[in-house]
Amino acid sequence: MTASPHHASSSPSPTSPTAHLSPTAPAGPDPAASAASPAALSPVLSLLGRGLAAGGLGGLAAGLFSLLLAEPLMDRAIRAEEARSQAHAHDDAAAANAVQHHEELFSRSTQHAGLVVALVVAGLAIGVLCAVAYALVHRRDPRAAPWPRALAFSAAAFLAVSLFPALRYPANPPGVGDSGTVGDRQAMWLAAVVIGVLGMFLVWQVYVRLAVRPQPVRQLAAAGTAVAVLALLWTLPDNPDPVPVDASLLWDFRVLSLASHVLLWAVFAAVFGGLGLRALRGGAAAREG
Amino acid sequence: MSAAPAHTASHTDTAAIRSATLGTRDWLLAAGAVILALIALYAVFMDNGSLVSATGDYLHEFAHDGRHLFGAPCH
Repeated sequence: MTASPHHASSSPSPTSPTAHLSPTAPAGPDPAASAASPAALSPVLSLLGRGLAAGGLGGLAAGLFSLLLAEPLMDRAIRAEEARSQAHAHDDAAAANAVQHHEELFSRSTQHAGLVVALVVAGLAIGVLCAVAYALVHRRDPRAAPWPRALAFSAAAFLAVSLFPALRYPANPPGVGDSGTVGDRQAMWLAAVVIGVLGMFLVWQVYVRLAVRPQPVRQLAAAGTAVAVLALLWTLPDNPDPVPVDASLLWDFRVLSLASHVLLWAVFAAVFGGLGLRALRGGAAAREG
Repeated sequence: MSAAPAHTASHTDTAAIRSATLGTRDWLLAAGAVILALIALYAVFMDNGSLVSATGDYLHEFAHDGRHLFGAPCH
């Protein structure tokens, strides 16, 4: 399916995929060099490179998307927060302090840039973790079927680290969040992500171990396990903070937050799978000489 | 031209040796990359001014909007 019969005619030039993925590989037409380069770049390192590229691009896409669409909402939320604490300034000095604390270190425009930088850094880190997890899951044959595996892996990762934690602890705009409870909230959020990731490994194990059963049984069992993992998240305590935000702003912010997660994972899946296909084609062409 | 085949053979030899021995080194590199990635994620999503004392609240405030958008807890 992935080995197209045209791969010989569309064999990459020495400057494309293998050279791109291995800057140290000699970029000459010497058959010995081109045969050595896929072997020199081991599957694990090749996956790490793909994960970095896919995660960085996914983070960049999510960052630019939210810079355009979510930042106006966050600016509105911060203005509303300032107005709220101005009204309470006389009887609540702590809230006024919190607002000043917001404004002191960086301007809003620097924080806008920080949004994109933070999501790119997070994307790169997520790409590394996903590449290593992918290499472990597919350690017997890390090169095979890169496209469908990238889609399945990214979908599972989206559920584990994005959708499930977001359903339990939905994102809140600036102005929500008590600095006194941030430690508890971080522990709860981290627990939700860890349960999501371990739960997805369980789902995968259920699917793998039922290999002899018919497809509907395997898929229903895997889906049932995923639902059980999601339900398990409600054993964690609720977010203790009040959410004094306009309901339509809150809804829009949460939808945009989830949309940027979806965008990150969609771009990650497409780039990771696409680079896997290119590496597969490059490797096959090099082996044939 | 007896040098050319010898050259090719030495190339494939080193490639074979490398692919046989890279396994452990690869996983060590992967483990190092995982540790760096976890530190980066901590810095972006978890730091409240305690990662490095010199950074104070700067990391937290710079990544502030990203944290809110990603759903990470923030003050």
